Amino acid sequence: MKIQEIRELIRLIDQSSIDEFVYEQDGTKVHMKKAAAGAPVQAVVAAPPAEPIAKPAAEEAKPQVQAPVQAANVQVETIPQEAPKPKTENTENLHKITSPMVGTFYAAPSPDAPPYVKVGDKVQKDTVVCIIEAMKLFNEIEAEVNGEIVEVLVQNGQLVEYGQPLFLVKPE
Amino acid sequence: MAHGSQSDTRKKLLELFAEANGDFISGQKISEILGCSRAAVWKHIEELRKEGFELEAVRRLGYRIVSTPDKVTANEIQLGLKTKTFGHFVHFVEEVDSTQKIALRLAYDGAKEGTLVIAEQQTAGRGRMDRKWFSPKGTGIWMSLILRPPIPPQKAPQLTLLTAVAVCQAIQQVTGLVPDIKWPNDILLNGKKCVGILTELQADPDRVHSVIIGIGVNVNQTIEQFPEDIRTVATSLAMEKGERIKRAHLVQEILLQLERLYHQYLQHGFRPIKLLWEGYAVSIGKKITAHTLNGSIKGTALGITDEGLLMLEDEDKHIHYIHSADIQL
Repeated sequence: MKIQEIRELIRLIDQSSIDEFVYEQDGTKVHMKKAAAGAPVQAVVAAPPAEPIAKPAAEEAKPQVQAPVQAANVQVETIPQEAPKPKTENTENLHKITSPMVGTFYAAPSPDAPPYVKVGDKVQKDTVVCIIEAMKLFNEIEAEVNGEIVEVLVQNGQLVEYGQPLFLVKPE
Repeated sequence: MAHGSQSDTRKKLLELFAEANGDFISGQKISEILGCSRAAVWKHIEELRKEGFELEAVRRLGYRIVSTPDKVTANEIQLGLKTKTFGHFVHFVEEVDSTQKIALRLAYDGAKEGTLVIAEQQTAGRGRMDRKWFSPKGTGIWMSLILRPPIPPQKAPQLTLLTAVAVCQAIQQVTGLVPDIKWPNDILLNGKKCVGILTELQADPDRVHSVIIGIGVNVNQTIEQFPEDIRTVATSLAMEKGERIKRAHLVQEILLQLERLYHQYLQHGFRPIKLLWEGYAVSIGKKITAHTLNGSIKGTALGITDEGLLMLEDEDKHIHYIHSADIQL
């Protein structure tokens, strides 16, 4: 994983409402956690063992110790101290659009179509923001408030739970 | 509401003919029951003839229906309809982009449960993910039914399985063919699709406003009437049965079975529906692939849960609970 990618991740997570984030690929593990409201993101990167095949099992466990390598320093350098703070305050005033049922989240009416809404879009109460589908029953979700989409909390195709927040809307 | 063109008199007249079951009814009797003049009766009879009903008029005996046209207007659907409420209000359109759209609008305007929207032709019939559903004129059933179930929104998906069972029962009743259901609600004959069901829910987080059940049935198409690219995967009831089927009759049977199962469901829940569904299910115990937006899962279909989710066991004996997917047999 490139350092730029880690930086980008930190930035994205910092701006989101995600408190904790774990990413694992090919033995590389990135673990980020917001310590508390207002505190900057902490990032931990675990590098894959250098020679995983050659090492006996007992030894292999040891090098897996999570090493707060460069990335931890990176965040100190790049994350502006004030970034997370106003976000946390704002979230409380934001309207959450939640899912009325368990199902698959569709951001667009068909795979080739543009999403119903994206961050920055103005919505009316009756604007369709997404579709939740289960067993070929489709539920068009409306914004419920007039305002602006601040954040999309789920990904296209993701399974969502009953009551799970899908969007954050800044009401007008 | 001023939708459709069914007068009460017309409706009564058709009920009379339905009760007579092919026997003559005197013009005098008709005019008494309808409360209109003999001349007015004659006018109604002429209108029915224009719509394709074959009516015999014999002096002293009166009128009788010889045959009804293969149409799906309110008249044909309501002639002999045995339901309590489903289909008692029919909104018929010759040609429409999608019956779902009309039904959605009617539901929004307060249409009652059981209101049926039906068309001779759909120009933009659609399926899952906005896939097109081929619905040419006069060959199939393209209908949408409005329900207002007193259930929490998260249970509404079960209605799609219920609908599949009702349509299977209706097809079996009318044609004698025994269809298969592919999860959740595709209906197949000899492995080819003949019915598609798409349901739309309008709800608050805690309350269902309406459920619009869209049903498309390939009834009388010949193979040539299907676009070439779907000929290997699509079929019609007539192709499987070897004879044409009267569409209005099938619509009546679908409405009847749906109404019956729906009330059973509201009273006793999903359990009895589940058993019926499994009776028609083609995939249980078989190796299938579930295609989702986030990849495909191969495994053995174990059955459905009490909520209607598909249980799929992969090679590592891990059971996946599927909410939405395209199933490949």
